[in-house]
Amino acid sequence: MLDKERVIASDAAARAAGVCIGMRRGGVLTLAPTTLMRERDGAAEVNAVREVATGLLNLSPQVVIAEESTVLVDVSASLRLFGGIRSLRRMARRIADAIGVTAAISIAPTGQAAWLLARYQGGAHLSHDSLARGLARLPVNLPPPARRHLDWLTGIGCETVGQLMRLPRAGLKKRCGTALLDLLDRASGDAPEVYEWYEPPPTFQARVELPDRIEQAEACLFAARRVVVQLTGWLSQKQLAVTRIVLLLEHERGRDAIEPTTIEVSLAEPTWREDHLVRLLKERLTRVELAAAVIALQLVVQEVREAEAASDSLFPEPGGTASDHARLLELLVARLGPENVLRPAPVADHRPEVAARWVSVTDKTKYVAPAADTPRPTWLLEAPIKLLMRGERPFYGTPLRTVSSGERVEAGWFQGEPVTRDYFVAEADDHICYWIFRERIGAVDDDEPRWYLHGLFG
Amino acid sequence: MSAVLLPEAIHQDLWRGNQLARARSRVVDCGDAGLARELPGGGWPRGALTDLLVQQTGCGELRLLRPALGQLASKPVVMLQPPHDLQPTAFAWWGLDPTSLMTVKAPRTADALWAAEQILRAGTCGALLFWQNHVRPESLRRLHLAAQASESLFFMVRPLATTRDASPAPLRLAIRAAKDGVDIQFLKRRGPARDEPLFVALTPSPILNVKRNATVDPRPSPVVVPRSVPAEVVA
Repeated sequence: MLDKERVIASDAAARAAGVCIGMRRGGVLTLAPTTLMRERDGAAEVNAVREVATGLLNLSPQVVIAEESTVLVDVSASLRLFGGIRSLRRMARRIADAIGVTAAISIAPTGQAAWLLARYQGGAHLSHDSLARGLARLPVNLPPPARRHLDWLTGIGCETVGQLMRLPRAGLKKRCGTALLDLLDRASGDAPEVYEWYEPPPTFQARVELPDRIEQAEACLFAARRVVVQLTGWLSQKQLAVTRIVLLLEHERGRDAIEPTTIEVSLAEPTWREDHLVRLLKERLTRVELAAAVIALQLVVQEVREAEAASDSLFPEPGGTASDHARLLELLVARLGPENVLRPAPVADHRPEVAARWVSVTDKTKYVAPAADTPRPTWLLEAPIKLLMRGERPFYGTPLRTVSSGERVEAGWFQGEPVTRDYFVAEADDHICYWIFRERIGAVDDDEPRWYLHGLFG
Repeated sequence: MSAVLLPEAIHQDLWRGNQLARARSRVVDCGDAGLARELPGGGWPRGALTDLLVQQTGCGELRLLRPALGQLASKPVVMLQPPHDLQPTAFAWWGLDPTSLMTVKAPRTADALWAAEQILRAGTCGALLFWQNHVRPESLRRLHLAAQASESLFFMVRPLATTRDASPAPLRLAIRAAKDGVDIQFLKRRGPARDEPLFVALTPSPILNVKRNATVDPRPSPVVVPRSVPAEVVA
């Protein structure tokens, strides 16, 4: 990584080849000609820090974007909610991983001290005593106001922050100004800290450029997690829940531009939970066929609603809550498609195939209770099967014996599909009952009565 | 002489080979006293895979489960991969609420197994009925494990041809149609082997209830005899 033609960061392989910080481009090329060199992108860095800050809003609404790519979070109010400082640190680490950055995480009673520790190596100092020891070990060039006076400080043998703090305050103020003293006071907790908290934008839109072209939709999931983490942070800060999101997969521009593939996820139950959104996106992504390679990903929020706090009843219901069931339905719909997850919506009609209507669970058709006094078989064949005749009796495996009187269904003439049938219950030799019908003689041209099997009694 | 320590006195999960496994609380009443006497625990087990091997679709398998489905307090009942369309009117006729029904179709076997597992893991449904002809034993075991974590009724409906396949289900029944009911053969249960099938009467029978029309009196009308009117009526 180069900034103004000087190396500012390198990986382990480059270090092994002898590349060190501050080297020029020519020097690197002499040592290791195959090194991949990239210019530092300031805008991307600022963006990444903002993404991390948005993601960290999951932990606490009080987030500050501090100088030198550092994000401070005030977690003192969130400790009990998330189950202690250790689990909070794990969550912060997980968010950083999801965004795709390497982070040094530090914990300290004051924000300034946490900033100093994070800039060095990270680490946790929970009490003021251990913080004082931790601060004393830091190198003296860490506080920004001390860097201008580095020559003088090394000249008098002051190499750590601890030694710096032991210098006489009056002399230090005279030589280095008040900024350095203020910073040290804030770090040790002797002076109050004032922050301007990070305020996320009122609308949410996140875009991730992928490091490489991606041919398979499933592989976009890691990038989708990156935007979903930011989304949940934004939602929890704004106290909102999302009901419809759209994931746009932007394609590589070939000879002519290709419309981005749109994956729309609409939820019956508003949610702000990361795992649920990621699961839904995962099921949807596995079904998507890409027209071209994906180079970028964009998440747009289309509908939000006020988040409702979960009601914690004293005795949890054994069968799960209604929202659990709604989540299950969403998951099934996401993988199987809305046309395969059905609920009954019977129609008041005499024709059984019309009356037994099933609609998708996402369909908002009103449910009308069917008549409870109409005997019907449980199973209805999709298309009636024409029965063979053996003698005068219909035959299905064995000859069928009619055991009930007929039920005449004559309807549908108003829709141009007249149905004139006489339904009977027939019993086979092995005592299985079938629901069969005869097309009424005279309704069709030939005089032979035609028998059909239409239902089974489950 | 000390009393002989019976195995059933040691722990409720112990029983002799000639006894039926004892009642656990996790059963749903099966609605038939004769069947309840033969089922371990006296009902359909919750949180376990139950294999129903049917002669063919429509031999009475749903009417057998009707009392149990009625006791689920309108919790959702999911029909996964049903062989035909269901008629909601039929459930209304039985006195069940069709709104709790849900049908899930899966284009592929892998999708169906996935859906079954998700439904069981969510645990929000009262019952899951899963029609599948061929399932590998390891998939069945996976579903059985998922069922154990839930309180749902879980029935696999499969053809009789799969009787010889291994199954982890603690209860396997073969169902054949009979006059006004079904014959149930206990292929596997936690209890003594029973070879002769058990007859269970099913209501409502399709035959009796369809005859709603007034029956026509088949007797011939009395022959009119002239001059048979009593004299006092004429007068």
